[in-house]
Parts: sequence; C-alpha cells; structure tokens
Amino acid sequence: MPQSARTLVPIGTAALVAALAFHLAAGHLRAVDSTAALAPRPATAATAAPGVPEILMSRQLMEQAGLHVGDVVTLATTATGTRAARFKIVDAYEPTPDPMRFTARRLEARLHLPDLLALTSDPTDPLSSESVSVLNVALLRPQDTDAVRSAVTARVPGLSVRPTSRPSDGTDLFAVLDRFHWAIAMVTVLGSTAFLLALMVMRAEERREIVGSLRLIGISSRSILGEVFFEGLLIALAGGLFGVVLAGGAQGLVNRFFQWQYDTPLVFMRVTPSIAWRSAAFAVPLGVLAGLAASWALLRRSVGSLVRR
Amino acid sequence: MTPIVEGRGLTRTFPMAGGRVTALREVSITIAPGEYVAITGPSGCGKSTLLHLLGCVDTPTSGSLVFEGQEAARLTESQRSRIRLTRIGFVFQRFFLLPMLSAAENIELPQAEVGALPGPRRERTRELLDYVGLGDRAHHRPSQLSGGEMQRVAVARALANRPALVLADEPTGELDEDTGEQIAMLFDRVHADGTAIVVVTHNQALASRAKRHLAMRRGAVIDA
Amino acid sequence: MTPRALAWRTITASPARALLAMSGIAIIGALLFDMLLLSRGLLVSFRDMLDSAGYDVRVVATDSFPLLRIPVPHATTLAAQLERLPEIQEVAVVRTDRAVASLGRASQDVTLVSVSPTAERRAWQVVSGSSLAGVTEKLDHPPLLVSRRLAASLDLAPGATLKLRVLLPGAPSALPLVTFTVVGIAEFAFDLSDDFTAATTTDAFRQTQADRGSDDADLVLVSSRAAFGPAAAAAAIGQVRPDVKPFSNEEIVSRFNENGFAYFRQISFVLSSITLGFAFLLISTLLTMSVNQRLSEVAGLRALGVPRRRIAAALLWESTWLVGGGGLVALPLGWLLALRLDHLLKQMPGLPERLHFFVLEPRALVLHIALFAAAGVGAAVYPIWVATRLPIAATLRRDAIS
Repeated sequence: MPQSARTLVPIGTAALVAALAFHLAAGHLRAVDSTAALAPRPATAATAAPGVPEILMSRQLMEQAGLHVGDVVTLATTATGTRAARFKIVDAYEPTPDPMRFTARRLEARLHLPDLLALTSDPTDPLSSESVSVLNVALLRPQDTDAVRSAVTARVPGLSVRPTSRPSDGTDLFAVLDRFHWAIAMVTVLGSTAFLLALMVMRAEERREIVGSLRLIGISSRSILGEVFFEGLLIALAGGLFGVVLAGGAQGLVNRFFQWQYDTPLVFMRVTPSIAWRSAAFAVPLGVLAGLAASWALLRRSVGSLVRR
Repeated sequence: MTPIVEGRGLTRTFPMAGGRVTALREVSITIAPGEYVAITGPSGCGKSTLLHLLGCVDTPTSGSLVFEGQEAARLTESQRSRIRLTRIGFVFQRFFLLPMLSAAENIELPQAEVGALPGPRRERTRELLDYVGLGDRAHHRPSQLSGGEMQRVAVARALANRPALVLADEPTGELDEDTGEQIAMLFDRVHADGTAIVVVTHNQALASRAKRHLAMRRGAVIDA
Repeated sequence: MTPRALAWRTITASPARALLAMSGIAIIGALLFDMLLLSRGLLVSFRDMLDSAGYDVRVVATDSFPLLRIPVPHATTLAAQLERLPEIQEVAVVRTDRAVASLGRASQDVTLVSVSPTAERRAWQVVSGSSLAGVTEKLDHPPLLVSRRLAASLDLAPGATLKLRVLLPGAPSALPLVTFTVVGIAEFAFDLSDDFTAATTTDAFRQTQADRGSDDADLVLVSSRAAFGPAAAAAAIGQVRPDVKPFSNEEIVSRFNENGFAYFRQISFVLSSITLGFAFLLISTLLTMSVNQRLSEVAGLRALGVPRRRIAAALLWESTWLVGGGGLVALPLGWLLALRLDHLLKQMPGLPERLHFFVLEPRALVLHIALFAAAGVGAAVYPIWVATRLPIAATLRRDAIS
C-alpha cells in the first residue's frame, strides 16, 4: 500500500549532493562522487574548531577514507575546493539499501538541511537557498496518493510527483524482472519435464518384467497404475521437499556472495512459503503425471511382450 | 598335443557379507584342441565360475591358468580381452545379443572388432547364418526371433572369429526340449568341425553328447 | 561396426526416450545459450549504439557521467576550441530539454533535441517528409522532426503545426510557447522506448529557451582522427579544457559495466552455472540409467572380447549424439526464446529503443558449443566408468541368478 508521495524539486546543478567534493581537514583535496575513491586521511581533533557543524557519514565512506567518529572533514562543492566548509563526524550510518543501485558504492554524507543549503546554494541566486531536491510526504490516508498527486501537479505544474509504492500497471523495473524470472522458470520446468519423462520411461522399462508378471497373475492395469501413482506421489513429494531444502541452502550461499561482493545488506534471493508452495505445486503433479504417462505406455503393450526376454 | 587351456589348483573365493565364500577349490583341468567337455552339477557348485576362469573372463584367487602357453594372471585385461575375441567363443544362457542390431550385424560385431574388412566379414556372416540354419533371418532383430533362433545366432557369433575353444554356459537353459536338442546338434557339428567345446549344463541330454564329462559339487570336480 | 554407429543404433532403438532426452537437452541448452547471450548482450548492444553514432568521445561537464547529466556551459566556444585540435576530426553539440507539446487540446511531454547540423544524419533517420536542413520552401515557423511515437500520439504528419513550451524543473514555466512546423517523421538513434522525441535546429532550440542558459549543452560529441584514436583525443581535450571531462566510448561502456549492467551479468552467470550443472546432472543420470539397464549386455560384449575402449567410445558417442542433437536444436530455440525474453525485458522504463539485452555474437556461440561439449563429455564419464569397470564374471553370474 502506498505510504507517501515523493515530490521531486530539483534545485539546480550546484546542489546535487552526490557531486560534492570532499576536502579532508589535512588540506588535501580529493574530488569524489558516489563512484570515485576518497583517499584515507584521518584528521586530528586538534584541528577541529568549536562550533563546527555535525555530519553523519556512511559506513562505506568512513571505511574507504579511513575516517573515524570525531574526525573533522572539509566538504567542498567543487573539485578545486572553493566554497568549502568543515564538519565534524558525529556518527556513521548504514545507507538504506537501494535495489535500484545496489552496485554503487554508497559514499554518502548526511548534513543538516541549513548546513547543506549554506554549502550548496548559489550566492548569486537567492532562490537557490529556498530550494530542495526532494520532499518526502507521508499521507494521512495512503489511498489518497492519486488524488494528492493530481492536486499537487495542478497547483504547481512542472513538479514530478511519484508514489513510493510500485505502480500497479506492471511497468516498473521489478515487475519486468519478475516476469523475466517467471519466464525463465517456465522454460526450466519445460526442460525438466522432458527429462523427467525420459527418466520415467526408462524406469518403466526397467520394471517391464515385473509389470508383465503382475498382469499375468491377473492384477488389473488400474491397480498397477494406482500403485505407480502412490509411488510417484511419494517420490515427487520427497523430491519437492529436497528441492525446497536445496533452494534454501542456495539462498544462503547466493545472498552471502552478493552481499559480500556489493557490500550491501540487500537480500537477493528469498525462498518464501509462497515460492515453495508454487514450486511444489509444479513439481509434484509433474512427477506423478510423468510416472503415470510412462507406466500407461507400458501397460498398453500386450502381456506377452512384457514378460518376453 | 599342446592343450588350449590348462588350469592347475584353481581356487576362486568371493568376498561376501558374512565372510569369504569359496566357489572353486583346487580344481585342475586341461582342455585339448577339438575336445568336447561337459561340466555338470547342482546350482552353485562352481561350474560357471570354472567356465569364466577358462574363458579368461575372471582370474583365480590362487592356482595357475595357462591359455595356449600364456599364463593368464600375467596378461593385462586388454590382452585377455584380445584372447577372448580371437581364440574363444562364448555362448550364454540369455544369448546377450544386441537388441538394436540384426542377426547378421550381431555376428559381424566380433569380426569388426578384429579389423575384418566388410567384404570378407559379410561373406563369413552369410556362411555362419547358413551354418546355423538362419540364412533367411539375417536381417531380423533379436526381438523378431524365437529363443532357439536367438541362441543359434549366438552360436554363430561365437564362431565368427574361428575360435579354438567355444565355452557355453547353460546354452539350453532358456529353451524347450526340442529347441535344446537343435542346439545340441549344432554343438555336435561345431565339435565335428574341430573346435573344442566346454559346455556347462543341467541338461543331461546335452551333457551326454560330450566326449568327456566332469561332475562338480561344492567347488570341486568329483568325477572326471 | 564402429562405436559411433553402435551408439546411433542404441539411440534410435528407443526413439521416444531419445526424443524426450533431446528435447530436455534442447530446452536447457536454449536457456544456457540465452544466458550466454545475456551475459554480454547489453554491453555489446550499448557499445554498438554508441559506436553507430560515429563519435568516439563524449565531453560532459563532470566526472559523474553517466550518473549525472550536468550541462556543459559555453558549448559553442568549447566546440570551436576542440575543432582546432589535430587529434579531432569532428565536433557536434547536443542539447536536450523537456518540453510540453500541444496540438489543440491534446498535449504530450516530449524530449526536445537539437544537434549540430553535421551530426543530424547520425542522430536520426528521416522516414517520412524531409530533414531539418532539407526544407526548401520558406516556412512560417521553425522546422521540427518528430519521432514515430510522437507522430502517432498526436496524429501528426509533415506539414502539421505543433506548439512547444520548454518545462522548467521545479517551477511553472513562463518560457515562450513556440510554434513549429512538422517537416518530417524520424527514427532517433537514442530514443527511449517510453519517450516522445522531437528535434529542431539550434536556433529554434535557443528560441524555446528565451536565452536561459542559451549556450549550455548536454554533451559535446567528438570523433577522433583515425591516426590518433579516441584515447589520444580524450587526453588532448583534457589538456586544453581541464574543466570538462572527456569519455571515450570504451570508458563509458566500462562504467556502465560496473554499474547498470552488473545485475544481468551476475544473473546470467548464476543461471548459466545452474543450467549447466542441471544439464550435466540430467544427461549423466540418463546415461547411467541406460548403462545400468544394459549391464549384462555390456558384460556379454566384454566376455566376447570387445575391449573397454570400444565400450567407452560407444557410450561417449551416445552422449555426443544426444547432447549434439539437443544442442543443435538449442541454438534456434534459444534464439527464438531470446527474442521473446528481450521483448519482455525491454518493457523496463527508460531504455533506449535500440538497446538489446540479447545480442548474437560468435563468442557466445563458441562458448555455448564448448560448454555443451564439456557437459556432454563430463556427463558420460561416470556411466563410462561403470560400464568399463564392471566385473564381467560377477555381472554374468548376477544375470544368471536373476
């Protein structure tokens, strides 16, 4: 359910926080953005003047730059270090994981809004200090998202108002990825079905003489199929359970690998009960049907051809 | 006359769950060229084990087996394989014809393995099919042949590379009395043509046609 | 009979079983082929798209490209400066802005583009009407080219008039409403699949801006001289204008590879590995079951003197026939599946129309064949080991007892 509407209010190129250049207290300038490296240069407490504004830094930036809580850093809006200001790191934070840019190194800092505006606004443009890039709005009634969006757009044309929830028309990135994975899953099911049938045909062939003997002593085809059905059901259930356990194990491996590779707490793979049920709902009937189909093909043959060596 | 195969003090034991089981104990046997030997005895007395040793399919746990002057234990698997291919012909109770090949192709298979050219190979196959009375069934697959016909194809396949020794393990075990009689007559012809035969059987009628008779019990030859 | 022929006869003896096995291999193989195409498809397609424009260096305002698009100021001066460099053959300035197009009561948000006249032939291809420079008669309004999608959306044809007003981010736009004459419909090289695009001349573009940032550009495109190459051209640009950042196509592709494409690279790696493992396991199971059913037959052949290597060769051929047959079908099947999956993935918002996720390249084909061959051979190892190492006498004895 939508919880809020997000209003994007770009305030011009100079105010783009991700383009900040960080100037360390020691005096050396390193131009960085969200993808560039910041050379570690610890600052000393002695350089910190009283009343230096506070700042939070992402864990990743602290690690990369070799910074610690209490260090004083200088931030500048340009690579040349003009319009710089000093800040004291008061804590590190873990950036909210963003699946849209999980590959990006989260080299980020959080400033109080007045500090940010003082640092980034254009002195020749009085309006620039009156602007922000984004307003997050929590609605009293989440179901009013569309109405609020229409109202804001009508009153302030040019604003981009987007709900934070996924659109329901299936056009967002993750809906497309969902469909992609679903399509691949379907192809895998098709391939597995063909293999399963081949294996069951062989398995049925292995039991040709036994089936022939049972038919010879008068056991009906229906009884034999019933026996095959229950056996197939048991095997399919056991196989389905094994598959879910295997996927559970793989889930841990895959997640750990990608979390390590991208330094993110994002979860990449999750075997939910719904997914487990859906997998079982495919696997068990397929297993049973493949067994029945192969056995049925065997039972159509004459008893004589079944018992003949 | 140099024997084809000579076994001295042949013993074969098998590891089993409850300990080692001795299938063959201290058996000595010599097969001369052109001989016709029948081995009889109750199930599990070691007949087939002895046949497998004579055919270089298996090696004894102790004792020595010499095939045409060569000590079998000193041969590599590939050399023993070559001996089986060129000097020995096997006939099995269950025929072991390849189901996807025709009667003629089954007979051609061992010839192809020794590198016989297609022309002579086909000629020899035709000759053998006529020999076993199946000249008109050359292109039939095993599934289209009766048990007796399959066994006749198996005999023809055993003779394909003109072996010195034919080893038959219960060749009439899967056949009725009349068909078994046809196979017995076929062995008579093979023997008459100079090929040595060792046949393991429960079939007394077949055994009685052999020139030498070995009776076995509990892994030993009790009557020669 | 050769092992190959023997294997063929074995397979054809059970056509239903072989057909099912090959179908499974073909489907799994198609998936593997697709994952190999996906592993580099986006990159190859992106590189092709960049290269097709004919420019091998892109000059932007900051190092943060392509994450941020900060305008390049004084673009005309910059272009003139770059044109004088010996390493550079041609320079083109690209300007874009968001605008609202209105026709009567209908309106549509569009991307308005303007490029240097020399770059027009590379930036778009006119499919109906004439190009911006090709208008011979005197028009009452500035000329405009529209994309097929925009033409369809507003029911436009050459000769129609359309009003455009450039939008201001974060504020109501008071920029002039400029009337254009549609002179043609074009296919734009970098058109987004969910966007509506229009292009006009540099002068008309400036007219829509009312002198707001009148000489800003989104980027400056540069083509290097063949004798120097893009790296030398980028270095020369960096020397004369350290305030801007030149990127060769190679560098842009590399940046995209590190960021935007990582997901598909990783997913294709994971799915290729799983698919290959799956194929290996299933082929191996099929062959092992098949050998287990024929153990007595194999023991009989071995007793007749058929050497181990012949048995091994026959099984290897059996695997080759199955995997080869399935693998061969996997290629066209995989391509059809790739077209479908590409269509599905291209529904993602904000993608250039000409970008593809699955691109056929010889490397993927060779890798597919190599991986499949390895899987086929690997899958045959265990059944071959079973068949060649089986104890002949014990197997014959077991068969006699059963």
